[in-house]
Amino acid sequence: MSDPVLRVRGLSRRFGGVQAVDDVDLEVARGERRAVLGPNGAGKSTFFNLVAGDVAPSDGTIELFGRDVTRMSVRRRVRLGLGRTYQSSRVLGGLSVEDNLFLAVLGTQGGHFRPLPAGADARRRERARAVAERVGLGDRTAVDAGSLSHGEQRQLEIGLALAPDPQLLMLDEPAAGLSRAERQSLTRMLLGLDEAVTLILIEHDMDVALAVARRVTMLHQGALLLEGTPDEIRASRQVHEIYLGGARDG
Amino acid sequence: MTPRRIVPLAIVVLLALVPLVFSDYFTGAVASKALYLGLAAASLTFLAGYGGMVSLAQTGLYGIAGFVMARFIVTNGMDPVVAALLALAVCVGFGVFYGALSCRSEGIYFLMITLALGVITYYFFAQVPSFGGHEGINGVRTPGWIGDPISDPAPMYYTALVCSVGAYALVRFVGGMPFGLALQGVRDDPVRMRALGYRIRLHRTLGFAAGALLAGVAGVLGTWHETRISPGTIDVASTIQLLVMAVIGGLYRLEGAWVGALAYTLLDTYTRGLTGRFETWIALIFLAILVVSPDGITGLWQAARDGVRRVRRPAPRAEGAG
Repeated sequence: MSDPVLRVRGLSRRFGGVQAVDDVDLEVARGERRAVLGPNGAGKSTFFNLVAGDVAPSDGTIELFGRDVTRMSVRRRVRLGLGRTYQSSRVLGGLSVEDNLFLAVLGTQGGHFRPLPAGADARRRERARAVAERVGLGDRTAVDAGSLSHGEQRQLEIGLALAPDPQLLMLDEPAAGLSRAERQSLTRMLLGLDEAVTLILIEHDMDVALAVARRVTMLHQGALLLEGTPDEIRASRQVHEIYLGGARDG
Repeated sequence: MTPRRIVPLAIVVLLALVPLVFSDYFTGAVASKALYLGLAAASLTFLAGYGGMVSLAQTGLYGIAGFVMARFIVTNGMDPVVAALLALAVCVGFGVFYGALSCRSEGIYFLMITLALGVITYYFFAQVPSFGGHEGINGVRTPGWIGDPISDPAPMYYTALVCSVGAYALVRFVGGMPFGLALQGVRDDPVRMRALGYRIRLHRTLGFAAGALLAGVAGVLGTWHETRISPGTIDVASTIQLLVMAVIGGLYRLEGAWVGALAYTLLDTYTRGLTGRFETWIALIFLAILVVSPDGITGLWQAARDGVRRVRRPAPRAEGAG
C-alpha cells in the first residue's frame, strides 16, 4: 500500500462516556473494495462521519489522498473527491430527481450562488440524467424525490454520491430496507463501478457485502478487531462469536 | 399558448385594468396597498417557501429601506429614485448582517432571533431623533412619474404592479437557477447539501439578503404611497399582520402573498366601517381559513383544481417502482 486513498492513525471519538471509535488504524488503497462490518454500536457510522468530516475526532489523524484532512471542512473533503451516502436516505425531498442530481454535480464545481443560467448547465443536466439512468431512476427524473418509494430513495442516495464522480465512495448501509431484487441490482451496480474508484461500504447484508468487498474490516465496540479477506472473515471464530454468540443482527 | 402561460398573462392584464375600472379610492387605498404589502409578504413567503426560514424581521427590513430613503429625500434633498436605490443597498446590507446573525439557527430559534431583530429595528427608528423619532418622517417626495399618489393614484398603482410582477417573475426564475435550487436543497436537508459541497450558512445568509431586497422594495413603495413613514408602520403588530397576510394567502406559495395581502386589505378597508371589532373578525377569518385549508386561500384554489381534474379524468395510473 504505497499510495493509500485513506489512512487513519489512532482515530478516536468519545461521546460523553461512550467511546464510539477507539484508536483505529486503517489504510485503504486506491481501487480497493472494502467492507466495514460489525454489530450495531460497533462505531461504523461514527467512523464514516469522522472520515467525511461531519464529526470531529477526539484524537488521531485522517489522511485523504495523501493529505491531512483531520481539521478540514466537509466541503473541502468533498472537493478532494470524497462522496458518501447516509444510513437513512438524505434526499432533497422538495426537488425533482433531476434537480437533486444536478445539485450533486454542481456541488464540487462551484457557482453555487449563480442566479443566472450558464452554458455548462446543459452538460450538468445531461450528466444528472445519465446518473439517474445508472442508478435505475431513468424514467423518474421529473418526480419529486420526496414522493419516491423507499427503495428509489436509496437508489437516489447512491446517485447523489456518484454524481460528482468521487475518487472515494463511502456507502453507509446501501441495502438497508431493500427488497431481494433491489439488493441484487444494487450488488450488480456496485460490481460495475469504475475500477479506479475506491469503495468503502458499511453493510449488514452479508450477501451484498461479501460479494462486493475484497477486504473486510471488522469493528467491535469502537475498536478494530480484525482485517482480512471475506473468506478469512467467514472462517473467523471471533466474528462468529460476535455475530452469532452475542446479539445477532442484520 | 398553453393555459400555464395564459392564466398569469390574463391576471396581469386584468390587474392593469384596475385603475380604469375601479374608483381612485379603491385603486389607492386597496389595490396599491395590497400590491406593496403583498410584496412585503412575498419576502416572507420566499424565505419560508424556498429557504424554510419563517422570518419575523421582514417588517424591520421594510422599515430600514423606508426610513433611510425618507431621510435621504427629506433631510438631504436627494432625488427620490437615487435615495430609493441607496436605501435598498443599505437594506440589503442589513439583510446580510441579520441573515448572518440568524442563519445558524433553525425553526423556533430562527423565529425568535428574527423577531428580536425586527423589534430592535423598530425601537431604533422609534427613538433616534434623526429619523424623526416617534413621529417618523413626513412629506416624502415621490419620483416625477408618480406625482401625488393621493390625487392621482394610478401611476403609483402601476409602479407597484410593475415591481410586484417583476419580483414574482424574478423569484420564480431564480428559483430554478443554481442559487434558488441550492437554497431549496438547504431547506430540505442541510446535512446532505453540506456533504455535496455547499456552504450552508452562507447560502442561507444570501437567501436572507435576497428576501431583504424584496422587503426593501416594498418599503420604498409603501413610503412613496403614504408619502411618510413612522415607527408604527413596523411595530410588532405590523409584523404579525404581515405574517397573517402570508398565512392567509398560503405561506408556501409565492402568489399567496398578494392574495393574502388583498384579502387583508379588503377586510381592513371595508369592515372597519361596519364593526368596531375589526381585529376580532380578522382573527376569526384567519382561524376559519387555517381550519379549512392550512395552505391558505391559494391552497383552497389548488384543492379545487385538483378536484375538478379528478372528476374530468381518472387518476393517473401509479407507475411501477424500480
